[in-house]
Amino acid sequence: MGSKNFEHREHEHRENRRDDASRLVPCEHLAEYRARNGSESLRVLQRCVKTEASGRACIKREAKEVPRCGSCSRARGRLYACVVCGTIGCWSPPDALHARTHAQDNPGHGIAVDIERAELFCCFCGDQVYDVDFDRAIIAARADVLRRETEERRRNAGDVGDNLKKNVGSGCGRDGCGDFGAGSRTVSGLVVSSPCGGEVGNSHESRKRRRSIEYKPWVASGQEQLGLKQSSTPLNDGKKLPAGLRGLNNLGNTCFMNSVLQALLHTPPLRNYFLSDRHNQAMCQRGDAQLCLGCDMDIIFTAAFSGDRTPYSPANFLYSWWRYASNLAGYEQQDAHEFFISLVSGIHDEGGTTSSCKTTRSGDDNCHCKVHRVFSGLLRSDVTCTVCDLTSTTYDPCVDISLDLEPDFGTEKGFSESIIHAEHGGRTSRAASSASGASSLLGCLDRFTRPERLGANEKSFCERCQTRQESIKQMSIRKVPLVLCFHIKRFDFTRNQPKKLDRYVQFPLFLDLLPYMSSSIVRLRHGNRLLSVSGDASNLPPSQSPSEFELFAVVTHSGKLDSGHYVSFLRLNKCWYKCDDAWITRVTEDYVRASQAYMLYYVQKTLFYKASDTARPPMGG
Amino acid sequence: MRASVHRPPTPDADEDREPEPTLQEIINIKLIESGEKERLKELLRERLIECGWRDDLKAQCRAFTRKKGRANITLDELVRSITPKGRAMVPDNVKAELLQRIRSFLTTDPS
Repeated sequence: MGSKNFEHREHEHRENRRDDASRLVPCEHLAEYRARNGSESLRVLQRCVKTEASGRACIKREAKEVPRCGSCSRARGRLYACVVCGTIGCWSPPDALHARTHAQDNPGHGIAVDIERAELFCCFCGDQVYDVDFDRAIIAARADVLRRETEERRRNAGDVGDNLKKNVGSGCGRDGCGDFGAGSRTVSGLVVSSPCGGEVGNSHESRKRRRSIEYKPWVASGQEQLGLKQSSTPLNDGKKLPAGLRGLNNLGNTCFMNSVLQALLHTPPLRNYFLSDRHNQAMCQRGDAQLCLGCDMDIIFTAAFSGDRTPYSPANFLYSWWRYASNLAGYEQQDAHEFFISLVSGIHDEGGTTSSCKTTRSGDDNCHCKVHRVFSGLLRSDVTCTVCDLTSTTYDPCVDISLDLEPDFGTEKGFSESIIHAEHGGRTSRAASSASGASSLLGCLDRFTRPERLGANEKSFCERCQTRQESIKQMSIRKVPLVLCFHIKRFDFTRNQPKKLDRYVQFPLFLDLLPYMSSSIVRLRHGNRLLSVSGDASNLPPSQSPSEFELFAVVTHSGKLDSGHYVSFLRLNKCWYKCDDAWITRVTEDYVRASQAYMLYYVQKTLFYKASDTARPPMGG
Repeated sequence: MRASVHRPPTPDADEDREPEPTLQEIINIKLIESGEKERLKELLRERLIECGWRDDLKAQCRAFTRKKGRANITLDELVRSITPKGRAMVPDNVKAELLQRIRSFLTTDPS
């Protein structure tokens, strides 16, 4: 092959193959290889692959073996092993390209694999190529390792009870653990590689610590010590009840409001904000005459944490809220979730702080008003054209996540959906494979983030095809908020009579959102490579960004769609309290677990404080 | 003219015989054989992630790819252009630590 001829062909290959975002269009040589040897030939490479905990993969080799180039015995630099015969060729431009020499001398041996990185390489095109079956092999190799690791861990920990197969749904349900180790992720081909899974030791911890601010201990100065001595009053430790626990009187079907207020009163970032007087009524810019839901919230916080345990009537707040959401005003029963959304918007709009909140759209990712800093997250939506594989991505801010309940199991729709997941490089939906009757938050989250085939009447416009095509949509969580509110859509409007779905939904106490975050989901789509999610400014590697959450409030509903009662549960000082309007009682965890969850509030397990926060206005006097 | 008997010997016929292994290559082989190279790589990875080098380099790669356009880039080009920058960005303490490890490996290694 003359060099001129070769170069021309090489250029042509580049044009054909490297289309934007289309990693699945193989180069001519890969396509030829696949045609000749079949897709199975790339899948069997799974046996040759060794994976690390972090998802990194390499080709297995003996302990003392030194891989060398077959032509020049070179042992440094990039070495590629031919997938057909295993001959190793080096690749050190510009002179030593022995991998290509091997390919040229042996027809059909054009594809090789990088020994250190387990990536396919086309020796003619001189560039990495990608193949779905090979990616699957890598993922499967990783799954094997995970499965073996967790089995070992379980054996060592002396775990009895449910075996892996049964542990679908949320994780370990015993003893309030709610934790799901890597075990529950390996069932039925689920292959999420979490860098946190299984990795112990200093490296992991130091990486986790890197981004947080160093803890500097505080010691009181002379003045401060004096102040402490003079102005402190001892805590009444005879009191067993946690601070801030106070009943709210029902002012006329206001249980929807009371239950959400209870949850907000004990939302740690919000509680801290108001209790540290960040919203000062005296300094409030809105003044007395105008409506300020922030001030009203401040009053409620003060009342709740005053130490007075008699039930409180949030009448002023109710009135203010009616003025804000006039369409919902009145004494009819309302929906708690609707109230929550309305309240968040209300505090954003009428919050009246010094921040430049007014200029940002409601729910804007960078909004600095207190509610958005606490609740606002970012959802990522990927729409992939089924014809040309082009994916278009959009980001939408959200203050909560509304989850659909899983459909009835065992139907054809459920099974065909699970087939689509497998094809799209996703994981098998737990929903389709779990037993009928039981539902879980994790199952709903699976459903929320599964690749969904949009119907023929929902075709979306594809930029490349320049026409409407059928597409596959997949949601994921791009940025998690400090506090995440899940709303379970318990209403079914598809029938003539809208009805409420009373199905029990199991929910965990501790939740790791990592598998549902964009970084994990996009990674899975790309064969589990360590990619950075495209287009993001702040790049936290998966093990760094906070993804572990714990449950602190549950709003439950009992009754029918148009009439029922809301009750909320709060977790304070590791005890659960039932807040039924003015009646607060302590309950067991199992009681809470058995309740019918409607809204679930999770807070990040470790809250990172930003080094420089917006300066608050100086206190008067 | 009489041929000199003292002329230098003709070069060997197999001119493409590989030259004597350099010191670098010898050390490299030793490191791989003993498994030390893997350990060093892990250590290096950890240090480079800790000090933010990996994130910075990722940003560089992304910027380069964006500039060239995703369709016009090959692995070789990327490696060729990013490598010098990457090398320069390694903090001195990391270099020192790695060198120290290699040095101690070589001195304590029996062979």
